[in-house]
Amino acid sequence: MTESERPVAGAKARILVVDDSSLVRLYCRDVLEKAGFEVEQAINGIEAMEKVLEQTFDLVIVDVNMPRMDGFSFIRVLRGSASHVATLPALVVTTEAGPHDREEARAAGANFYLMKPVSESDLLRHVAVLTGAPQ
Amino acid sequence: MPFIKRGASSTDKAPDSKADGGAESHLAALHSPDAEVRWTAARALGGVAAAVPALAAALGSEQVPRVREAIMTALMRVGDEASVRALVPCLRSEDAGQRSAAVEALQSLPGAVAPFMTALLADGDADVRIMATELARNMAPEDATRVLSGLLEKESHPNVCAAAVEVLAEVGTRDAVPALQACAARFAGVPFLPFAISTTIARISSIES
Amino acid sequence: MSFDDSKRYFIDRRLAERIAATGSGSFQSYFAMLRSDADHEIEHLVNAFTVNETYFYREDHQLRCMTAHLLGDLLRRKPDREAIRIWSIPCSTGEEPYSIAMWLMENWSEVDKYNIEIVASDIDTRALKAAAEGVYGARALMRLSHDMIERYFARIDEAQVRIDPGLRESVQFTRANLIDGQDMARYRDFDIVFCRNVLIYFDDASRRIAAENLYDCLRPGGYICLGHSETMSRISPLFSVCRFPEAIVYQRPEATDDGK
Repeated sequence: MTESERPVAGAKARILVVDDSSLVRLYCRDVLEKAGFEVEQAINGIEAMEKVLEQTFDLVIVDVNMPRMDGFSFIRVLRGSASHVATLPALVVTTEAGPHDREEARAAGANFYLMKPVSESDLLRHVAVLTGAPQ
Repeated sequence: MPFIKRGASSTDKAPDSKADGGAESHLAALHSPDAEVRWTAARALGGVAAAVPALAAALGSEQVPRVREAIMTALMRVGDEASVRALVPCLRSEDAGQRSAAVEALQSLPGAVAPFMTALLADGDADVRIMATELARNMAPEDATRVLSGLLEKESHPNVCAAAVEVLAEVGTRDAVPALQACAARFAGVPFLPFAISTTIARISSIES
Repeated sequence: MSFDDSKRYFIDRRLAERIAATGSGSFQSYFAMLRSDADHEIEHLVNAFTVNETYFYREDHQLRCMTAHLLGDLLRRKPDREAIRIWSIPCSTGEEPYSIAMWLMENWSEVDKYNIEIVASDIDTRALKAAAEGVYGARALMRLSHDMIERYFARIDEAQVRIDPGLRESVQFTRANLIDGQDMARYRDFDIVFCRNVLIYFDDASRRIAAENLYDCLRPGGYICLGHSETMSRISPLFSVCRFPEAIVYQRPEATDDGK
């Protein structure tokens, strides 16, 4: 992220959490809001795409295992979209950890991936890096 | 006005007579080298109980995703034990789309899936166990609670527990609370799961009258 | 059963009534009932919440998407002189198909250059009859400007207008059931299908059957518009997702590159 793209000091970075699990969304929202981020939620890839087109986000956190459109597909679609959306940083959350999944995450265009269960500290650390916020 | 009325179909010919071939010809068509023919055959056999063995066999070898979908729909429409038996192996597919399709199909058959739940929830593969928890989503609350509580008592993988907790949040009854509490104690140090369990217990306890 | 106001969940009165009417002791029981659609509960719930939800130019962002993007794309691939075929299903009392026609005339500069067929279908013959009559009240017209109403309707009395006869004649109304294979086999070669706010009320199997039927009713490369906030149940195997600024629509793949 270039200097000019960093969030303005004082402006809250906006994060979209995409996961079909309401508990995971709630967890992420609680953790991230406490840390000062603005959080929006989407329950599947389609809803996520609508929100990404309508609103500005600094980061999208995407679960890989979603029923209607898996996270990798969503990120591929994101990367293929109009410019401001295509460069949106994406953090994927996966349950598998094999090199194949890391490779697939990279190939799909994810910036980084986290494995479930996701700890608060891991989540915050990665979010800080990807939104350019001070750590 | 630029609008013209012509007819339901752009040509006026009668519906494709292939569709009237009867079950026999559709069964044969399941093996056609032409994907379009297989697609039509699978759709025509929807709900035909006698076709389940043929559909199951076709499902095993079908490569074209759209046709695989149609075969799964056809099996879903029969919805008996044999259909479930045909769909379960798809849970182990390498293809995420196929696994997801199988979960969706099986989820809609809570009655037929019930006899398979114990084995699926005890499967050696954690991912299969995770998918099996999803199958309880459309069960009667008492049944879902019973099978998932049983899982929680024995499960060692936190992600499988988290999946079960998620489903219980939606359909669990208060009978799930003891198993949930025990699970929270067992996994006190693990991220996310204690949060998920306490949220779920709160949800279950507050909604019921 | 009591609902504490301090709880996080807001319970709509109509939902509470359904829960009580079905004798469900809890949300969980009621939702389980919905999922299995016991005693057609989905229909009861829908009826409880539906208050004449159809009107002219409903969700017009999709109509905008049609003229701004879809038609151009379709025409690029279409043989000369082949008509543009549009299907509204379910069409209910006609607001949707007539809106499509009106929108095209108002917003598409090339509307006179092409042959356009609009077919409108519903399972409900009473709705079809009303649609064919084309009589509407103020509520259906609420999104239309005064000019539009003058242009496309004739006033019958204080409360009602009738749609312009030319427009009425432009739409072909038929009875069709989305999940009836034989019905749907009569419909082919559509370029755009508007299938809004009906699939969500179907059970899983019916939704899949309808999606498979709609696939066959479309030309390769044809588009489907669902209701806002609806998503196609099984997306990747059957349809591709197309994101436009105005709307997200679904497309039947152009080539038969499934591999034969």
